[in-house]
Amino acid sequence: MVKWFEQKAESEPNIVSSRVRLVRNWDQYRFPKTLSDREGEELVKRLEFGLKNLEELDGTPYEYAYLEELDELSRRALRERRILNSAILNKKGMVGLIVSRDESVSLVLNGDDHIRMQFLSTGLCLNELWSRADKLDDYVNARFSYAFDEKYGYLTSFPTNVGTGLKASVTLHLPTLSLGKKFSSLVGEMSRFGLTLRGVYGEGSENYGSLFEIANQKTLGLSEQEIIDLVTRMAGQLNRQEKQVREATLTNHRLEREDEVYKSYGVLKYARRLSGKDGMIFLSQLMAGADDGLIRVKEPCSIYRMMLGIQQANLQKLSHKPLGKDELDMARAEYVRKELPELA
Amino acid sequence: MLCENCKIREANIRYTEVINGVKTEHNLCSQCAKEMDMGHYSAIFDGEFPLAKLLSSLLGLEESSQKEDKLQQITCPICKTSYQDFVEHSRFGCPDCYHVFDLLIGDKIKKLQGNDSHKGKQPRFRKMEPVSAVTGNENAPVGMVVTETTSRAETITLLKARLEEAIEKEEYEEAARYRDQIKELRREEEQNG
Repeated sequence: MVKWFEQKAESEPNIVSSRVRLVRNWDQYRFPKTLSDREGEELVKRLEFGLKNLEELDGTPYEYAYLEELDELSRRALRERRILNSAILNKKGMVGLIVSRDESVSLVLNGDDHIRMQFLSTGLCLNELWSRADKLDDYVNARFSYAFDEKYGYLTSFPTNVGTGLKASVTLHLPTLSLGKKFSSLVGEMSRFGLTLRGVYGEGSENYGSLFEIANQKTLGLSEQEIIDLVTRMAGQLNRQEKQVREATLTNHRLEREDEVYKSYGVLKYARRLSGKDGMIFLSQLMAGADDGLIRVKEPCSIYRMMLGIQQANLQKLSHKPLGKDELDMARAEYVRKELPELA
Repeated sequence: MLCENCKIREANIRYTEVINGVKTEHNLCSQCAKEMDMGHYSAIFDGEFPLAKLLSSLLGLEESSQKEDKLQQITCPICKTSYQDFVEHSRFGCPDCYHVFDLLIGDKIKKLQGNDSHKGKQPRFRKMEPVSAVTGNENAPVGMVVTETTSRAETITLLKARLEEAIEKEEYEEAARYRDQIKELRREEEQNG
């Protein structure tokens, strides 16, 4: 089955994906951190049993697994694809996993909280994702009574999630806007609105691939719809600003832009070694060029899918063996050569 | 050698990073090294975590006065998490912690969230009759929300889990009770199909 990120979003350029995450706890158990292994196992089994017919909800087929059954590499690959977060990755005790075949819907049982539901999609569609999450939430709630408090709302392990338990985020591609001097102050401004804006890939203050995620920071005191609207509005705003500066580069620096895109394509198409950083940077430049119509490839392709594809665990998984640094760079170059369509 | 980050200052720190068997070397100046988060790629995936870690400093801001010392002793009777544990790890042990620490955390949650009362969705289904009300078994597992779709098979599975647990704990009286309940349900199942 085609994964959600393999579908090329026709809608908006620069908007890569949307995500809605909801955390809930069953009122019959303590939070995972204070559960014994035995209790954790019981919790997971009971939750899983209650949710075994999830398919009836929207006809999507689901797969059920336990984290401990998966090898290290598969787990890290799931993390790269955002099904798991790193805190869950190394958790001791039983963790249940329910993932739709296209990986757009996933539930983690007995992670940081009892239930973490996540919806992913290409494009800007937080509203639609929220309404699906809302429905799944009711379905789960019909089977398991939630830990809920009239004052604090849905109770969660971390006080940073209490209230709605909702995190709504949008990943944007901002190659030009993020170059500007004003960008770092923009990052600061976001917190005034209760939002965070941060780079997705990169170390320290560097950013590889110009992907940024905007998300709500606060989960208490705003309704779900208000959170969704706020993040949607700000993501749209960032996208508009990016478009403006990009248009300016097309009128004033067209040659440089074209040169940049074709050079990136050339490197990606013919390189024999590609570091993770270079891979992200060139794919980002290609993405910008393709979105602006500077370059055209034969078949439609999702560049975001390739960005996920060149991550370490995925490449190692594809080659079925551990890879050294050089081998990894070779595997990455090979992957990109194979996936990149010819020029039209 | 110049620092690979700023390319201005002389590098005086060699930082070797081994992540999943892949070794990378970085030559940095002390200033850049300090500023750099030595973490790996994709800080985003850790997103749900660092904020909480930062939080413990926020929650623990007020240095302990005597009064505060006493408060540290308060412990949740359900999960044994003490207020101090909570401040240290920024993490509750169970839903009851919210009530136990209510007076202590109100301000802090407000500081953190900018608000201290929930405004959004309410659970559509509140706690309902335990399974016993449906099956007629008084000692059936409590807590499972029973809907029309809660099947007998489901109840049996829950009871089985409890049975195993009771055996493990050598609580044989309990175990026997679960065994009888399972038997009873199985019999009903056969009769009613």
